[in-house]
Amino acid sequence: MRRLGTWPARVGVGFVRACAVAAVSLLVPAVWAAAAALGIWWGPGNPWSWTAPFAIVCVGTLALPRPVCRTIRFLVARWAATVIPAGYRQGGPVTRLSTGYWWNGFSYERSRRDAVLDQKMRLWWSDPANWRDLRFTGIVPFTAGVVAALPPAGVAAAVLGFARPETAAHLVGGLGLVVAVASAPYAWRPVVPVAVRFLRPSPAMALADRVDELTAQRADATVAQAAEIRRIERDLHDGAQARLVALGLSVATAGKLMDSDPDQARALMRDAQAGATASLAELRELIRGISPPVLNERGLADAVRALALDMPLDVAVSAATPLRLDPPIESAVYFGIAELLTNAVKHARATRAYVTLTRDDTGVIAEVEDDGRGGAGIRTGGGLAGLRRRLAAFDGTLEITSPPGGPTRARMMVPCESL
Amino acid sequence: MRIVVAEDLYLLRDGMVRLIEACGHEVVATAATGPETLDALRTWRPDVSVIDVRMPPNQSDEGLQAALAARREMPGLPVLILSQHVEQLYARELLADGSGGVGYLLKESVFDADQFIGALERVAAGGTAMDPSVIAKLLSNSSPGRGLEQLTEREYSVLGLMAEGLSNQAIGRRLFLSDSAISKYTTTMFGKLGLNDDDDSNRRVRAVLTYLNKP
Repeated sequence: MRRLGTWPARVGVGFVRACAVAAVSLLVPAVWAAAAALGIWWGPGNPWSWTAPFAIVCVGTLALPRPVCRTIRFLVARWAATVIPAGYRQGGPVTRLSTGYWWNGFSYERSRRDAVLDQKMRLWWSDPANWRDLRFTGIVPFTAGVVAALPPAGVAAAVLGFARPETAAHLVGGLGLVVAVASAPYAWRPVVPVAVRFLRPSPAMALADRVDELTAQRADATVAQAAEIRRIERDLHDGAQARLVALGLSVATAGKLMDSDPDQARALMRDAQAGATASLAELRELIRGISPPVLNERGLADAVRALALDMPLDVAVSAATPLRLDPPIESAVYFGIAELLTNAVKHARATRAYVTLTRDDTGVIAEVEDDGRGGAGIRTGGGLAGLRRRLAAFDGTLEITSPPGGPTRARMMVPCESL
Repeated sequence: MRIVVAEDLYLLRDGMVRLIEACGHEVVATAATGPETLDALRTWRPDVSVIDVRMPPNQSDEGLQAALAARREMPGLPVLILSQHVEQLYARELLADGSGGVGYLLKESVFDADQFIGALERVAAGGTAMDPSVIAKLLSNSSPGRGLEQLTEREYSVLGLMAEGLSNQAIGRRLFLSDSAISKYTTTMFGKLGLNDDDDSNRRVRAVLTYLNKP
C-alpha cells in the first residue's frame, strides 16, 4: 500500500526534476538551434542573414555556461545532497588609496565602480573554471540532458498523438505516455554523476583552494598558540609566581623572628608550607590543562580512561590497544573528547556516555555518544566550532548528529599514518 | 623497617632518605630508574618501598609498572607510590590484585613528616594510604555498586576515610564521633558488604577495595 501511495508522488517529483534538468542542460543547444532556425528563416543562401544568428550563438555560448553550471550545482546539492565546490576565483578587497584612486589587486581606477567592474572582468577572463564550465555545457546535453528529456518528450508525443484521429498516432501517443511515466522517477538522476565527474574543480583549482585553506588554518593555529602561551604566562604570573614570592617572604621573616619570637616564626613556617602545597596544586591544574600527565605516561587510550573516571557521569570507554599516535594528534583528540564529555554533562545533562576509539589504515576515529537531551550544533564562535578548527589543523573532521531530545553522537576523525 | 626509595630527582630522593632515617627507619637501597627499582625490590624484598611514578628511561609510568610487576611476583609486597598527580586509573590498577599493602599519595605529602611516616607504617602493615583527592573523586561519582548503594551517608563517609587509611580513632576525631560509634558503623557496614571474617584489618582492606573498585 505504501508503494502505491508513494509511486505517483515519485513519478510527479521525478517528472518535474527531469523537466528542470532538461531545460537547464539543453539551454545552450536550444540557443544554437534557435539561431540556426533564424538564419534558415531569413534565407540560407544569403550570407548576410547569418550575421545575427552568429552573434547570438557567440554571446549565448560565452555568457550562458556559468549560470547553467551554477544552476546544475544548486540542483545537485538540493536533490542529491552532494555539494560540488564551485572553485571560482575570488576577487580580493577593493581598497581606496591615499591618492584617492581605487586598487582592485590588478589596476588603479578612478572610481570604486570601475575598480570592481575591472576586477570582475579580469577574474572572469583569467579563471580556469571557465574552461571547465564550457566543457561541461558541451558534455551535459548529450549525457544527462538527453536522458532527462525522455519524460517531457514522451508527454509531448502523447499530447500530439492523441490529438490526431489515426490509430497509429494513438499508439505512438500511448507508447510516449508509458515511456514518460516509466522513466520519470529515474531520468533526472544521471545529472548527479555527470556533474560530480565533470563539474568538480580541476587539480590546479583544488590546489589553489587548498592553499587558501592552509593559509587560514596556519593563521588560526598561530593565533591559538599565541593565546595559549599568553594564558599559561598569565596563570603562572598570577598563581605560582606570586605564591612563591609570598613563600620566600614568609621564610625570610620567619628567619628574622626565629630568635626573638619563635611562636610567630613557627606560624610563618606553617603558612609557608600551606603556600607551597597550594602552589603545587595550582601547577598541577595548569599542567593538566597544557598536557595531561597520563597522556604522556600511558598514551591516548588510558588517558581517556582516566578522564572517564574523573567525569561526574558514567562513561564507558572502549579502545583499541595499544593506541600510540603522534603527540600533537593525541593531545588534540584527547582535549576533543574532554570537551565533548564536558558538553554532555553541562549542556546535554547526560547520565551516561560511551567513548569509542578506533584506529584504521587512514587514521584515528573517536566517537562520543551520550544519552542527553541533544540539540547540539556547530555554531560560529561556539565551542564545537573551535574544536572543529583545532582538528582541521590536522585535516581532521568533526561530525555531530544531535536531534532535539537526543541522543548526541559526535565523531572525530583525524588522518594519520600507521606507526 | 627496611625501606627502598625509588625517585629520579636527586634532591627529592636525598631529602626522603634523610627524612626516613631521621624517623628511625633504614633505607636499604635507592633507585633512580624503573629497571633499578624492580631489581632493588627483588633483591631486598623491603618492608615497604617509596616509588615515584614517572622515572627514566622513558619518563613514562616506569615506577608504577615496576611496582605492579614486583607485586605480581611477590603478592602483597607493600608499596607506597608517590606522584605529582593522582589518577583514579592508577589507584584502581594498584588495588586490582586485592591484597592490600598499597599507598598512593601526592609528593607534597612528605611536607608533613609524621603523616608521611604514618602512611609508610600503615602500608607496611598491609593497610592502605590513599590520597584524599582520589577518595573525593570516587565520592563524587554517583554510581555505586556491589552493595555500596545500601550504605547510609554516614557509613559511606566512614568508608571514605577508611580508604584514606585512617584508624577508627582518627575517623572518630574527623567526624566528631566516639570510637564505639565508629566501630558500630564499621560492623554494620561490613555486614552490608558481606564481609564476615573475623580479622578486622583484613575486612578493612577488603571494604576499601570494594569501595575503590566500584564500576
